[in-house]
Amino acid sequence: MSVSIAVPTGMLLPGALRLLSHAGVMRLSAAELGRRLLVERSGVRVILVRPADVPAYVDHGAADLGIVGKDVLWESNGSHYELVDLHFGPCRLVLAVPEASKLNGPETWPPLMRVATKLPRTTAAWFEARGQAVEVVRLHGSVELAPQVGLVDGIVDLTASGRTLRENKLRVTATLGASTARLIGNQASLKTRTEAVQAMVARLREAANHGG
Amino acid sequence: MRRWGYRFVVTPMVESIDVLALGLNAEQQRRLFKFSDARGEVVALVGERTIPVARLVAGKLRSAALPLRLCYAGAVLSADEGRFHQRRETYQVGAELVGASGPVADAEVIALAARCLEAAGLRRYQVDVGHSEFFQGIMDAVRLPVAVKAGVRSALAARDFVALEELLARTPLRSAEHELLLRFPALRGGSEILEAAGGLVRNRRSEQALAELARVQELLVAHGLGAVVGLDLGAIRDFDYYTGVIFEGYGPDLGRPVAQGGRYDRLLERFGRPAPATGFVVQLDLVWELLARGGRAPLPRLDAAIAWTGSGHATAMRLASTLRLFGMRAVVDTESRREREARAWWRAVGAENLIQCPGTKTVAWTANSGRTRSLPPEQVAARLAGSPS
Repeated sequence: MSVSIAVPTGMLLPGALRLLSHAGVMRLSAAELGRRLLVERSGVRVILVRPADVPAYVDHGAADLGIVGKDVLWESNGSHYELVDLHFGPCRLVLAVPEASKLNGPETWPPLMRVATKLPRTTAAWFEARGQAVEVVRLHGSVELAPQVGLVDGIVDLTASGRTLRENKLRVTATLGASTARLIGNQASLKTRTEAVQAMVARLREAANHGG
Repeated sequence: MRRWGYRFVVTPMVESIDVLALGLNAEQQRRLFKFSDARGEVVALVGERTIPVARLVAGKLRSAALPLRLCYAGAVLSADEGRFHQRRETYQVGAELVGASGPVADAEVIALAARCLEAAGLRRYQVDVGHSEFFQGIMDAVRLPVAVKAGVRSALAARDFVALEELLARTPLRSAEHELLLRFPALRGGSEILEAAGGLVRNRRSEQALAELARVQELLVAHGLGAVVGLDLGAIRDFDYYTGVIFEGYGPDLGRPVAQGGRYDRLLERFGRPAPATGFVVQLDLVWELLARGGRAPLPRLDAAIAWTGSGHATAMRLASTLRLFGMRAVVDTESRREREARAWWRAVGAENLIQCPGTKTVAWTANSGRTRSLPPEQVAARLAGSPS
């Protein structure tokens, strides 16, 4: 029986395809997968979905395994197993404020902090754990813009190199967490088709640990 | 379930929040639909029925001798939208065996759960049996600082093996228990896995759990379920609630368990009647989903569609009541219909047999095979009643 793997569009796609190729699972170009969305070859099915949808596909059992950034997992709590740190696609989740802002450590935070982000759950939980009242403004893109136009005091966003932040005259004051790509697995697939799924997990783990 | 001696009980849809709080953790309480009654007491719609059954056992059934075998069916409500559906109301069938401990009782409940899945129409399913004490023993034995242990528990509860690996990698002491924890999702298989695990654990709690599991598996083979039962030492469930053998039932290609259950020996004492207990619940919505995927969703089956014209109406009604006397389901048409229209109506109602009554003497009986015969109505009734359905 075939094993299906959900891979995310966007930043992590090249790394995911490289991993599948290194593990000898499937050689696949981003262009081909992007055109067909679902490719099935010699007992393996690869499906291309939006990053935030990977956990849903896996939890549902529509895919046995999924490759997804830890940042997406922070925002979703499903029934999947988080199995392997695949090491590629590193980025940090940071709190950034305008360069001119006086905000630094927690002692400089206002009584009610206003923060814009694409990851509202993670952001709210982080501030809550520090006893800070926060108003989280959920945005879907161009988060860097929000403090410049006075919408918020700062932003919580993912950054790999920090370039976008610098270009928008923002500086990092705290790191909320570090993210890399993860391999997640469906609960029932691991139980009902243990051998095929575990063998695939082992291959991907091996490839990831050896410079995939 | 009644054939297994389980008494059907009906528990209230609405319970006091204080009662439900005795058995639910904070997150489960948050998911309840809550409101207040006329006296201002906060009540909730039940989100599961084990707790109401426990209350029943410790309350109204206080003087009933243990063990008690009880079963129930009904809707449960959750205020959260599910991850998979928008339904707030789902249907569960369950059973509880209260007052019996040990592998014999555990195996009985697992076997009953398996037979329930069969009775519901699932042709392929598997039941994974585990033991919560196996994990607890490992956690006792593993040499870790208290804070790290707490981290290990929460990483396992979140099924986050990456975090687990990091936590364990930071501790210098390595032991067989470390390895077991890391291999948790893969600790599944047949009886060979008990031996493999037995060689790795060095603590009484886990060893005893393995011995109990071996016995339960033997008993399940005796129950005739050897082919569908697997062992899963890495089952991750609510470790604070379950106290012994736990199990999950899976259908083919469905991402979630259709049945879940296990031993919970500490619940009844919170209601003032300490007793060991084990039970299970089958998620009927998921069973339905599985059947529908296989194209076998059970629609009510009709035995006979009875059409008529003119004076045949009286014959039709008489024939229908005869068939009903024999326990068959028969529908009489509401209007007069001839040959072609009658056949279209037959297909629309989806009955096994079409019986057309043009008058009082003979009727035309068409079976599902397509063959039509002209017979007196009594003979049609006799044949239908006599045929195995």
